Amino acid sequence: MPTNGGPTDSGQATYLEAIGLALDNEMDRDPDVFIIGEDVGQFGGAFKVTKGFLDKYGPRRVVDTPIAETGFTGLAAGAALVGLRPVVEFQFADFISCAFDPIINVMARHHWRTGDPMPVTMRAPFGARLRAGPTHSQSVESYFAHVPGLKIVMPATPEDAAGLLISSIRDNNPVLYLENKYLYRRLRASAPLTLEPIPLGLAKVVREGSQVSLITYSACVSQALEIAEELDKDGISVEVVDVRTLVPLDVETIAASVRKTSRAVVLHEAALRLGYGAEIASVIQEECFWHLDQPVTRIGAKNTPTPTSPPLEDAVVPQPAQIAQTLRKVATA
Amino acid sequence: MAATRSRRKANALTGRDHALMRRIFETMVLTRAVEDRMVAMYKGGDLLGSLYTGHWHEAISVGAAAALRPDDYLAPIHRDLGAHLWRGLPPWQVMASFMGKATSPTGGRDGTLHYGRLDLGIYNLPSHIPANFPVAIGMAFAAQYRGQDRVALAFCGDGSTSRADWHESLNIAGVLKLPCIFVIENNQFAYSTPLRLQTATGDFASKASAYGMPGTRVDGTDVLAMHDVVSDAVALARAGEGPSLVEGVTMRMHGHAEHDSADYVPREMLEEWAKKDPVQLFENVLLEAGLVDEDAVKQIREDARQQAIAARRKALADPMPDPSTVEAGVYAD
Repeated sequence: MPTNGGPTDSGQATYLEAIGLALDNEMDRDPDVFIIGEDVGQFGGAFKVTKGFLDKYGPRRVVDTPIAETGFTGLAAGAALVGLRPVVEFQFADFISCAFDPIINVMARHHWRTGDPMPVTMRAPFGARLRAGPTHSQSVESYFAHVPGLKIVMPATPEDAAGLLISSIRDNNPVLYLENKYLYRRLRASAPLTLEPIPLGLAKVVREGSQVSLITYSACVSQALEIAEELDKDGISVEVVDVRTLVPLDVETIAASVRKTSRAVVLHEAALRLGYGAEIASVIQEECFWHLDQPVTRIGAKNTPTPTSPPLEDAVVPQPAQIAQTLRKVATA
Repeated sequence: MAATRSRRKANALTGRDHALMRRIFETMVLTRAVEDRMVAMYKGGDLLGSLYTGHWHEAISVGAAAALRPDDYLAPIHRDLGAHLWRGLPPWQVMASFMGKATSPTGGRDGTLHYGRLDLGIYNLPSHIPANFPVAIGMAFAAQYRGQDRVALAFCGDGSTSRADWHESLNIAGVLKLPCIFVIENNQFAYSTPLRLQTATGDFASKASAYGMPGTRVDGTDVLAMHDVVSDAVALARAGEGPSLVEGVTMRMHGHAEHDSADYVPREMLEEWAKKDPVQLFENVLLEAGLVDEDAVKQIREDARQQAIAARRKALADPMPDPSTVEAGVYAD
């Protein structure tokens, strides 16, 4: 067990604690891993993911920076090029736009251009439902999914948050690790975390069902499971597939589920238009067209910015009733 | 405006390593010969896109690169062929890059000025200059992290100083006391934009004070002055005293690239600067000091010309890349 300020596993780690435990695990085992970002050290991070890390690892490995996303993201790229394994923390995923250039033009294409590895993990808390408004609630995955050379990881549970972060840090590519801040203190593990790496690129069937496949990721997974339980009472059997990593995408697991159920709904909290669901829906029709009994249906946020006020935000972000109604319709049509 | 440091006229070579002086001169001559050859190649249709040259930047790029150890990191731009040649990049490989050949440092995946090789300690930058600045501070960070006394040196032009990544890099380097040297090649124009539209300060060295680092303005056509000032900055960085900014003042004697006739540059300016050819100036110094004689100079220039001719022959004969390989290596293993 880590001492001297490092995190400890209570046996029921929250999603947030799981991220901290995985980070601590990797910093413990690999002296080349360091954390860099705004307020990550003495303050322990805006959401306290790195609380205690400064005491345990010191300012050399827990690096507080000026407010300079382009600067410290590019710094991470340079450090990675010469062998370190930086973990960059963005305070909010919304601020990652300030670092587009180092992510897209420096990191993402570097290996393809030169053959040099670029092992940078970028952690960014994203997502809606916290009444945080248009510039603190964004889902940014689609901006980056279009760019060759990046991996995109979006865990839905504390267990996956830990295992996928460990794999992200050990990966030799730039990895965008998007943690859903709505889940931070809402989900708990049911047992001590194993802290074993979970390979990137493996989706997971998290609930077996027979009538419709609900393909989703991140915070929508636990929401989907609750809705599936409700629909089960009405005799509607929903299979829930957690995509887990958008890039690489596990086409096989998604396609196998849809071939089995013949119906597919794709769900995310990002805006619908050109959301990642468009890619998944396309892949499904390419792979499963002759198995489909219904058109593939997408559910996502309205094509507006995310509002602050609760009735407005709830009108934009997909709600359980809407999701249930769509599933019911697709499953029984 | 900071005073411009220049070399004292008398006894210019007293106390200097004569072998080093000769190597600096040979590299400057080779840089000029390769670029002159490539201008002819551009006009003759050998090259794919445009050609970016560094005429009148040879004293800056070679003088600065020669102040480093071979294990220090370099992040040069498109005016710094001299720095690459100093590190041992063969001229034919530069030409191969401008031709999209399989033998270019990126195998034809990137082209033109993107020929940096990490095995020579050189970062291969994207086109978004100064995107190399954050990367350079990352390399410097890695040296500091590991307790090594390596330094990193990044070049940029006057136009780059207006960008956010320039400011963020200098600010972070100042705060973290990173062993990094920032060399500004003030060549009077950023594409067509003159200095007066780039900055209200009139110089760049004075900006260093905003980042808590020393800034020195140097005659960028005087290779000994450049070498001396950068050597001082390197010594500071190696001693853990943090970063420095060096402004080398010179003139862009060609267009932004060879397609650009640069009609916006006043003729008088070019005529005035034509008297300050850095290669010729250093040749005069060496002749005056008796380090070389006229015959030796002729031989050095002819050797460089022959190298450039042979380089063209090899680059022309080299194969184009195999299109079936284009999807390999988007991700590192």
